[in-house]
Amino acid sequence: MPDNAPVPVQKWVSIVHKLKTMAAAAVAVTLLAGCGAGAAAPEATGSSSAAGASGETLVVYTNSNGEGRGDWLTKKAADAGFKIEIVGAGGADATNKLIAEKNNPIADVAFGLNNMYFAQVKSAGAIEAYEPAWAGEVDASLADSDDDKAYWPLVKQAILLGYNSDKITPEQAPKDWTDLWSKDEFKTRYERVTGLGTATAQLVFAGILSRYKDDSGDLGISDEGWKQVEQYFKNGSPAVAKTDLFARIASGDVDMGQMPSSIVAEREKSFKVNVETVVPSVGVPLAVEQVALVKGTDKKEQAQKFIDWFGSADVQGEWAQQFNSMPVNKSAAAKAKPEVVEFFDGLKQQDIDWNFVQENMGAWVEKIELEYMT
Amino acid sequence: MSSTPARTMLRSPFIIIVGTVLTWFIAAFLVWPNANVLIETFFPGGTFSGRAAEKLLSSQRAMKSLGNSFLLAVALSITVNVVGIFIVLVTHYFRIRGSRILFLGYATTFIYGGIVLAAGYKFIYGDKGIVTAFLLNIFPGMEPDWFSGFFAVLAVMTFATTTNHMLFVANALKGVDYQTIEAARNLGASTWTILRRIVLPMLKPTLFAVTILSFLTGLGALSAPQVLGGRDFQTITPMILTFTNSPTSRDLAALLAVILGVATMLMLAVMSRLEKGGTYFSVSKVSSALQKQRITNPAANIAVHAAAYLLFAVYTLPVVLIVLFSFADGAAIQTGQLSPGSLTIDNYVRVLTQPAGLRPFIVSVIYSALAAAIAVGGLLFVARILQKHKNWVTGLFEYLLHIPWILPSALLALGLIISYDHPNPLVGGAVLTGTTVILLIAFVTVKIPFTLRMLKASFASINSSLEEAATIMGAKTIYVFRRILLPLVLPAAAAIAALNFNSMLDDYDTAIFLAHPLVQPLGLVIKANTDGAEGVDGVSNTFVYTVLLMVITGLTMYLVYGRSGSRPGGRHGSKRGKRGTPDADAGTAVPVGSPATEAAGAKVSTASGGLTG
Repeated sequence: MPDNAPVPVQKWVSIVHKLKTMAAAAVAVTLLAGCGAGAAAPEATGSSSAAGASGETLVVYTNSNGEGRGDWLTKKAADAGFKIEIVGAGGADATNKLIAEKNNPIADVAFGLNNMYFAQVKSAGAIEAYEPAWAGEVDASLADSDDDKAYWPLVKQAILLGYNSDKITPEQAPKDWTDLWSKDEFKTRYERVTGLGTATAQLVFAGILSRYKDDSGDLGISDEGWKQVEQYFKNGSPAVAKTDLFARIASGDVDMGQMPSSIVAEREKSFKVNVETVVPSVGVPLAVEQVALVKGTDKKEQAQKFIDWFGSADVQGEWAQQFNSMPVNKSAAAKAKPEVVEFFDGLKQQDIDWNFVQENMGAWVEKIELEYMT
Repeated sequence: MSSTPARTMLRSPFIIIVGTVLTWFIAAFLVWPNANVLIETFFPGGTFSGRAAEKLLSSQRAMKSLGNSFLLAVALSITVNVVGIFIVLVTHYFRIRGSRILFLGYATTFIYGGIVLAAGYKFIYGDKGIVTAFLLNIFPGMEPDWFSGFFAVLAVMTFATTTNHMLFVANALKGVDYQTIEAARNLGASTWTILRRIVLPMLKPTLFAVTILSFLTGLGALSAPQVLGGRDFQTITPMILTFTNSPTSRDLAALLAVILGVATMLMLAVMSRLEKGGTYFSVSKVSSALQKQRITNPAANIAVHAAAYLLFAVYTLPVVLIVLFSFADGAAIQTGQLSPGSLTIDNYVRVLTQPAGLRPFIVSVIYSALAAAIAVGGLLFVARILQKHKNWVTGLFEYLLHIPWILPSALLALGLIISYDHPNPLVGGAVLTGTTVILLIAFVTVKIPFTLRMLKASFASINSSLEEAATIMGAKTIYVFRRILLPLVLPAAAAIAALNFNSMLDDYDTAIFLAHPLVQPLGLVIKANTDGAEGVDGVSNTFVYTVLLMVITGLTMYLVYGRSGSRPGGRHGSKRGKRGTPDADAGTAVPVGSPATEAAGAKVSTASGGLTG
C-alpha cells in the first residue's frame, strides 16, 4: 500500500540511506580508533623497557594540565620510559572522581591537588601511603600531616591580593584583605568572587577565617570573622564569568583582586598591566600542590617509579623553569627562575591550622554560599 | 489517542519485547543508579537528614535564586513561543521577501549556545558593546550598563532557544492542510483568524512539547545569568553545581535539583492534560500542501518584514562577532576591543596542532553519533507505544523516562559510578566503570527525555486511520511501523538525532566522571584549554572551539535536516506544486516527510464549523 506514494517513499529511502551511510562511517571510524589504540599498545611496551617496568599506560589525574603542562609532562615521561595518559579535571572534579572510583580505581597516580583536596581523598580511602625516593629533599611539614604520609608536596603556590600598580602606589595600596571592605577607597575597587568552587577562592577564605578561630563560634569561627565575610560580599565588584581579573584591571573596571602567584607574570604581559601584590602582616596562605599513589592500582610498582621520577629534583627543576612554578624540592629550587625563588624567599607564609581548615571548609563554603553571597 | 487497558496491551508480542527491554533499561540505568546516589545523599549513614531543607529555607540567596529561576522559566515559556512562532511563520507561512536568508539567520541557534553565545551578545549590547556605543552617541546620558539583569537574560535566552521551534514547529506547520485554509478564506476569515483558529491549533502537540523544553531551559539557566544577570539576577544552577562538587553539601544540590525536577514534572503533567483528547491530524479525505500566504494589509506587511529583518540582525550579529573574535587574542576578547589588524590565525594553529590533534574530535563525534542513534532508534518504538496506549502502565513508564531531567548530569554520572564499580547482576555481572560503554550509557540516558517528548509529539500528529487501513489489509505490526509510521516521523527523528548529536559534542559534566582515560572526548580537552585559570589563551581557545563546533554542527544539520526537504519554501511543496494536482497524492495515505502531514483535524473542522456558523 505505501508503494502507491512514490515521492515520500523515495524521500525516506534516501534519508534512511543517508543514516545508514553515517552509521557505517561511524562504525568504520570506531574500528579505526580501535586499531589505533591497539597499535599504540605494543609500541608502548617497546619504549618503556627503558624504565625496566611493564609497558602499561599509567593513568594520571591532575588539575595541573593546562597551558601545555599535560603535553609537556607526557612527552618528558615518554623520554624517561613512562607511558602516561593525563586526565585533566578541575580540583574539585578530580577529587570527586578519585573518591567516586575508589572501589575500582582507574587512575594510578594523582597530582596537582592541594593539601585540602588530598585530605578529602585520603579520608575517603582512595590513596595509599607511599614514601617517594625524594622524601628527604622536601619540607615534610608541607606534606600529609599524618604519620602514614599518603601525599607529598611538589609545588608551592602563594594566594595573593594583587593590585594595579600603575594606578595605586604601594603606600596607597591596601595592607591586608580586611582593608578592602573597611576602607572606603577600596570598597568598590576590588573584584569579589561569585562562587566558592575554586581552590584559590577557598584558600583566600581559609586565610581570612582562620584568623578568627573561636571554638564557641559558628563552625569554629567568631562572629567577628563572619562579619568580615559579610562585608567582603556586601562590597566589591562581582567577578564576571569568562572575564579574567586582569582583563578587568586593564579596562579599569576594578583595581585589585585575588590571584595565585604563578599566573601573575604571564597575565601582566598578556593584558599589558602592572600588578603588585600585598603581603599582610599575618603572611599569605600557601597552597601546596601534591602527588599521591592511588589505592588499589594494579600498576603499583610502575606508579611508584613514576612518582619517584616526577618529584625528583631534575624533573621538578625543569617543570619550574618551564612553568614559572616554585618547587618544594630543595635541590630543584636551584633550577627555578631566580625571580620566583626570590619572591618566595621574601614571602611570609601565613600560619594556618590546615587540619582545622580541612575539617570545616565544606561547611564554611556552604554557609558562605547560602548566607553571605549575593 | 485510544486508551487501552494495560491487560489488553500485553497481548501484543511487539509490546512485550519492547516493554521487557525498556523495563530492564529503566531499572538498570535510570532508577537504580539515581536511587543509589539519592539514598547516599539524603540518608548519610543510614538515617534521614532533613538538614538540607532547613538550610535552604533559611537562605535568602537560595530562595531568591530559586525564585529567579522559576521566573525565568515561566517568562521564557511565553517569550520563546512568541518569538519562535513569529520566526516560523515568517520563514514558512507568510510570503516574505528573502525568507531563505532569514531562515539561515534564525537557524544560527542550531549551531551554538552556552557561554560563548552570552558573550557574543555582550560584545554587542554590553557596556562596551557596539550597539551601546552607538546608542551612547545619540543619547549621551544613557546608562552604559543597560543590557543586564532579568531583561537581558530573558532577551538573550529567548533568541538563543528558538531552535526547537525552527525545527519541530516548522515541521508540523508544513503538515497543515492548505485546503482548509483556502476554505476558511473563501468563507471570509481574516489572516489572523485563520492563524488563530486553524493553523495554531494544529501545532498544539509540538507547541506543548517545545514549551516544556523552554520551561526547562529557563529553570536550568546557567551561562546567560552568569554573564549578563549582574548582582540582581542570579539563578540557582550555579549554586547547584557548587554544592554538587562539595561532598558535604551534596544533599543541598540534590534537594534543589529535585525541586526543579518536580516543577518540570508538574509542567509536563499540565501539558499532557492540555494535549489530551485532541486530534491533531488530518481527517480530510483530500488534502494538499501548504502554500505561502501573502499578508494583504500593506501596513501589516511592512511591519512584519521590518520585524523579521530586525530579528535577523539580532540573531546573526553575535555569530559574526564570535567568528571575528576567534581570530583575535585573548586580551582583545576579554576587553572587547577588536582591531582589524590584530586578527590572525594563531588561535586556530594553536588549537589544531596540539599533540592530541583531531583524536578528541573523532572520539566525540563517534560517541555522540552512537548515543543519538541509540536514543532515537530505541525510543521510536517506545514513543509509539506510549502515544498509542494510554493507561497507568504507560503513564508510569513515561514519567520514569523523565528521570534524567531531574538530576544534574554530574549526579547522574556519580550514580552510575557507585552502582557499577563492582560486578552487578543488572548488567550481567559486569563492571562498567573504566570501560568505554559507561559514557555511552550516560549519553543515551541524558538524551531520553528530550527525544521522547519530541518523538511523541510527532507520532501524535499522524492520522491513525492510515495504520488502521494497513492493519485491516493484513499488515503486521512491524510492517506497519516500518512502512507507514516510520516514514512519517523520520524527518522529525532525524532532526532530533541531529540536535542530540550536537548537544553532546562538547559535553564535559558527564564525560569528566565517566570517560575512559584513553578515549577522552572533546569536552575534556576544551575544558583543559579554556578554563578561567588556564591563562589568557583560554578565552581565545573557547572561541576557536566554538567556531569549530559550529562547523561540525552546521554540517550535521545540513546533512540530516537541511537536505531532507525542510528548507524554507518546502522543496516538496514546490514539487507538488509543479505536479499541479494535489489529488495525485490524495488517498495514497503516506505523503511527504513531515510528522503532521495531511493536515486539518477534528479541532480545525469544528473551528471552521464555527466560522460558518
